[in-house]
Amino acid sequence: MKKLLSVLLAAAMLLTLTAAFAEDSDLAYVEGKGTLVVGITDFAPMDYKNEAGEWIGFDADMAKAFADSLGVKVEFVEIDWDNKVLELNGKTIDCVWNGMTLTDEVKAAMSCSNAYANNAQVVILPADKAAQYADVAALSGLTFAVEAGSAGEAEVKALSYATTAVSTQADSLMEVAAGTSDAAVIDALMAAAMVGEGTGYANLTYTFSLNSEEYGVGFRTGSDLTEALNAFFAGAYADGSMMGVAETYGVQAAIIPQA
Amino acid sequence: MEQILQQMPIVIGALNTGFLQTLKLFFVTLLGALPLGLVIALGSMSRSLVISLFTRTIVWIVRGSPLMIQLLIIYYFPGLVLHTPIWGGGESGRFLAASVAFILNYACYFSEIYRGGIQGIPRGQDEAGLVLGMTPRQIFFHVKLLQMIKAIVPPISNEIMTLVKDTSLSRIIALQEIIWAGQSFLKGSQGISGAIWPLFFTAVYYLVWNGIMTIVLGRVEKRLNYFR
Repeated sequence: MKKLLSVLLAAAMLLTLTAAFAEDSDLAYVEGKGTLVVGITDFAPMDYKNEAGEWIGFDADMAKAFADSLGVKVEFVEIDWDNKVLELNGKTIDCVWNGMTLTDEVKAAMSCSNAYANNAQVVILPADKAAQYADVAALSGLTFAVEAGSAGEAEVKALSYATTAVSTQADSLMEVAAGTSDAAVIDALMAAAMVGEGTGYANLTYTFSLNSEEYGVGFRTGSDLTEALNAFFAGAYADGSMMGVAETYGVQAAIIPQA
Repeated sequence: MEQILQQMPIVIGALNTGFLQTLKLFFVTLLGALPLGLVIALGSMSRSLVISLFTRTIVWIVRGSPLMIQLLIIYYFPGLVLHTPIWGGGESGRFLAASVAFILNYACYFSEIYRGGIQGIPRGQDEAGLVLGMTPRQIFFHVKLLQMIKAIVPPISNEIMTLVKDTSLSRIIALQEIIWAGQSFLKGSQGISGAIWPLFFTAVYYLVWNGIMTIVLGRVEKRLNYFR
């Protein structure tokens, strides 16, 4: 038993040592393995699949161009959004590039690129009740379904309104549709695609914006890939290729100039 | 209703792909866990105190902690602690990590069922075997093993049906099984967004599969009836 214990202890020490010496250039790491692994979720118009099953979208196309500029291949991996920091630090992905709102929490947990697009958090209400509320103040007393850890949750909490945390933004819409919550708060880009006429949530509508916010790309803390991406963004904005991609997906109005 | 009919082909396609992944994990787990469980059962019954204490500790840890946490540890620990992501970020790596977690987890549960089956056989049979000049190994494989198998079919069937449904836990490491596929249409995928029904519809797949399993396992039980 003592022998076993000492072997275990030695192994544990070895682990801490390798951990201490493993810090290295992230750029060199990605170039070494020849692939940039991009963590995404299915999120039109940023990252989604075309009919051929290939990942496209504003973020996907920019990620492909960035990988090209590094001379490496790109691999898209669908992740559970809740686990994005785990995935990054566990090196199962190299960046989070999926219309990610730059909140304080995100900035603390990852090394973030410059903001490249604008977004807002909007309130979703049943279409037949939307007219009853004149402004955001009138919404007090309602229960809001929000994605746990999302920017929308932070906005509602800041107003001290009641929240119900659900696991995805889509689940929060289901809450409103099912009447288990009075309202929901989700991304404007997503709301435009998911609620109203011709969608699965024809009985819902989106109303007030609670804030305006910005999208960025996340890397591991301390990564030198962040600098590389900022430089790439500046170049792509200057030569017009960034706006070109934005126009393909109809998000040109949201793009932030890069320098 | 019309909208659902329109969405049907795309959704069914995605759910089928997801369920194939579910079944793959199901069969790989059974293939690995059924034999490994026997090894662990023999280990925890070992006369060597070191071996039996060691295996019993592992069984305690695996049965005593949530499978969801085990999935997270097995998939993320190598990268987080060792800085070598042995599984990789792709689909195949996630499947491999999920398989390891499920095999280990189910093997531990199976081992206890096996142990119950083996120890449930009257001691008189050991004694009779010894009197006839059989070795303990011969007694185990020729006398006790088949009786044990018969005794454990009902509890193993229980675990098998739970296993099909438990595979959905692997979505925590983003393995795209059927629940993941159903949920993707809520948020938006392949041009369909805000569709609630695919998620609920996944239950039909589990029900049908467990229906088939009930029939198959019932037959197995019947075939083993010749002991009585």
